Amino acid sequence: MQQTKILFIGLILAALSACGSPAEEPAEQLIVAKPGAGAAPDSSPAPAAGDLASKGKAIFAAACAACHSVEAGEASGAGPNLHGILGAKAGRVKDFAYSQAMKTSGVIWTPMELDLLLANPAAKFPGTAMAAGKLTDAADREAVIAYLTDISK
Amino acid sequence: MNEMSEVIAETPETPKAGKKRGKWTRRTFIGAGLLTGGALVVGVAIRSGKPPERLRAMLAGGDGEILVNSFVKIGKDNIVTAVVPHVEMGQGAHTALAQMLADELDADWNNVRILEAPGDGHFASHNIAREFLAPELKVPSVLEPTVDGGFLTLAKMMALQITGGSFSIRGTGQRGMRAAGAAARAMLVAAAAEKWQLPASEISVDRGIVAHAKSGKRAAFGELAEAAAKQALPAQPKLKTPKDFKLMGKPIARLDIPAKVDGTAIFGIDVQIPGQKLSYAAVKAPPVVGAKVAKMDASAAKAMPGVLQILNMGDFVAVVAEGYWQAQQALNQITVEYSKSDADKIDTAAIFAGYGKALDEAGADGGDTLAETGDAAAFFAKAAKKVTAQYHVPFLAHAAMEPMNCTAWVRGGLCDVWAGSQSPLGARNAAAKTLGISADKVNYHNTYLGGGFGRRSETDNIEMAVRIAKATGYPVKLIWSREEDTQQDWYRPSASSRFEAGLDASGKLMSWNNIHTHLFDPQEAPLVSYYNIPNSLIRKVDAPMHLRFGPWRSVDHSQQSWFIESFVDEIAEAAGKDPLALRRELLAKSPRHLAVLNRVAKMAGWGSALPAKHGRGIAIAQSFGSIVAEVAEVDLTAKKPRVTKVYCCADPGFAMNPDGYTAQMESGIIYGLTAALYGEIMVKNGAVQQSNFHDYPMLRMNEAPDIFVEIINGDAQRLGGGGEPGLPPLAPALTNAIRAAGGMRIRHLPVAKHFA
Repeated sequence: MQQTKILFIGLILAALSACGSPAEEPAEQLIVAKPGAGAAPDSSPAPAAGDLASKGKAIFAAACAACHSVEAGEASGAGPNLHGILGAKAGRVKDFAYSQAMKTSGVIWTPMELDLLLANPAAKFPGTAMAAGKLTDAADREAVIAYLTDISK
Repeated sequence: MNEMSEVIAETPETPKAGKKRGKWTRRTFIGAGLLTGGALVVGVAIRSGKPPERLRAMLAGGDGEILVNSFVKIGKDNIVTAVVPHVEMGQGAHTALAQMLADELDADWNNVRILEAPGDGHFASHNIAREFLAPELKVPSVLEPTVDGGFLTLAKMMALQITGGSFSIRGTGQRGMRAAGAAARAMLVAAAAEKWQLPASEISVDRGIVAHAKSGKRAAFGELAEAAAKQALPAQPKLKTPKDFKLMGKPIARLDIPAKVDGTAIFGIDVQIPGQKLSYAAVKAPPVVGAKVAKMDASAAKAMPGVLQILNMGDFVAVVAEGYWQAQQALNQITVEYSKSDADKIDTAAIFAGYGKALDEAGADGGDTLAETGDAAAFFAKAAKKVTAQYHVPFLAHAAMEPMNCTAWVRGGLCDVWAGSQSPLGARNAAAKTLGISADKVNYHNTYLGGGFGRRSETDNIEMAVRIAKATGYPVKLIWSREEDTQQDWYRPSASSRFEAGLDASGKLMSWNNIHTHLFDPQEAPLVSYYNIPNSLIRKVDAPMHLRFGPWRSVDHSQQSWFIESFVDEIAEAAGKDPLALRRELLAKSPRHLAVLNRVAKMAGWGSALPAKHGRGIAIAQSFGSIVAEVAEVDLTAKKPRVTKVYCCADPGFAMNPDGYTAQMESGIIYGLTAALYGEIMVKNGAVQQSNFHDYPMLRMNEAPDIFVEIINGDAQRLGGGGEPGLPPLAPALTNAIRAAGGMRIRHLPVAKHFA
């Protein structure tokens, strides 16, 4: 290997940098329909949102309500009050003593996060106090999440 | 995994407040703690002695957070979880990284699980920045802050946590995963020693069991995890040497394969949001980069089935519909007028004319000098024999098989994003910046990637998706058509390169003068320091290029290796030497390169007779720390050249998973062969002309050569990468073989256009 004079060590990878474009609003926005409103050929075979939420309410009553209250302002039980949980940060309810795992998780409760939690609480948050409430059926979780979405509006 | 921030303690390695800033070393930086539930966690960060405050601020890290490159969790159930800060795009990094960790830990492989780190800043692999900036640079202390500052700037630019640069194994694996495993092992042994009141030196670990042979005492990892968390942290855990490797160097089956075979693996395009009905968006951006939407007529599209919204976003048009097909069909019915600019006049010929002009202006000694040895110009003037050549390569698209996509849901000041990105943190930051919200309001979910090749380190798809989702207010999955993918890529740049070589009267190569357009990355791509050439001058010149460009598998090595190794063969031909013999001569002082070259020549039976109109071509390249030589065998008896065999020998230092490494060589060869034979993006009226696989073809199964790969483990202390190094030698081996088979010397890729 001969002596080679390296004359240039530049800042490289410039094009790897992700320069966010300015958040331009649409110049034109033509709203034709709302999702699910039309009889589109491939519209979802899943039950309408209302049906799903009422199915979820029933499952919630049987599997979750023993620990979780849902009315705004209602006191927490063995688990925290869940009113407005969709989009909220984990560990937000004042009158509930969360596990360290939950309190420090930083999770924002999206449907997918809720789905992961309900599928196996202990796996999602090792150390969570949520010992019960595991829903193994994906359709049940979907229904419960639809219900939680409903009461979060 | 955010709970990690609370439990990983800073080690005594951290300089106390007020103490002088530590020198940047590659010292590993270890933290450990106990998770609620009794699991031991050990994390490793690699960084300057002082936590990078500016980096922390940029990543919106909170108090007590540290950047962890890798970590291991050992549960009471004996399950060892390897948390890896890299994404899986088919390259097998997840498994190899877990292998490295599990070997140092002496874990039971059956109990090892893999978790991909979230794009949340804790796992930022900012050492990648350092690795790119100056891989082997030894910096005097006085310069350290400058380099560190440069590296922080670069890190910021890159938004961190990138999977690329063939870096995962040689960087994160070698410096992070192994140290985490070894540290956890030492702590488990210390816990056992304390519990049994026996000396740690007499305690061994094998397949997840800690044991003391004389007393017969044994304990599984899970039993010791909690006590291990209270043990002192080894600041410099002792790593194994190859003779003690049990998992490293073994062809362990990839753990992501079963889900990919049975279809359960989730890629970005598969994402569904539980409880939510997704709408689908199709987009069209202006054909000429930088143009705007001047006028949109959507009257026909509005009436089409399933259409929900039609958006003129200024820099692109989008249709949101109940299904993807409906969105794309409606989009096709929208007529758009675009703003005009001078770029509308640009075509491929004009681009190359511009390169030629820039090279002419630079002349024999102009441009930016990259490396200089001796006096190339002076020798060339008096050379007994002169060889000159000029080469051109086209723009290339990435053509990842999974179309570009992104799912986004923006509501109430929050945003969820789902995509497969090579830069999860960059994706998250891009979403936040686009929406004008802080990064902690963005919940980013990374998936498997259906091909990356550098394309998925860009975030344009993410930005588009969040803008659409913000406008609709409901969750939307954006999917690009293949046409949009081909025409709106961040291309491998086209480039031109000129060479002058001078030989002495005995035919010895004495001078090498090269000038080429563009230098992107890595900086050493055009250098030939492993070749023994007394006088050399290597320069680059910038030339206008209006298309967006970005990293493409092996980046600048993809064109530079073809330029260099084509010219070496032209020198051999001019000197009347065998191409292998000339390379042996040039590599006399580079023993590792020579060993690789000799092995591939032996594999290929170099020099043995071939049928008429058949030929062999050889090439060698060093990229991303690995040395790879390839021999291609070509059959020119039919109208089109057919590559029948490719022999490949690689020295990556040490192949952590030889099966995975071999697969990466094969994949690089196939991807490189596709590009060399067919790849060409052309420009007319400022716009990309190619649009889909009919005019931007991929190599088909019936065209694939038999590939033979052998690995030399040349230096276990210096690992090279796997994702990219298989590609660079392929194109020159192919065109050198065509020449050897009696065909023409190809100086302008792709190959196919010379046989049309």
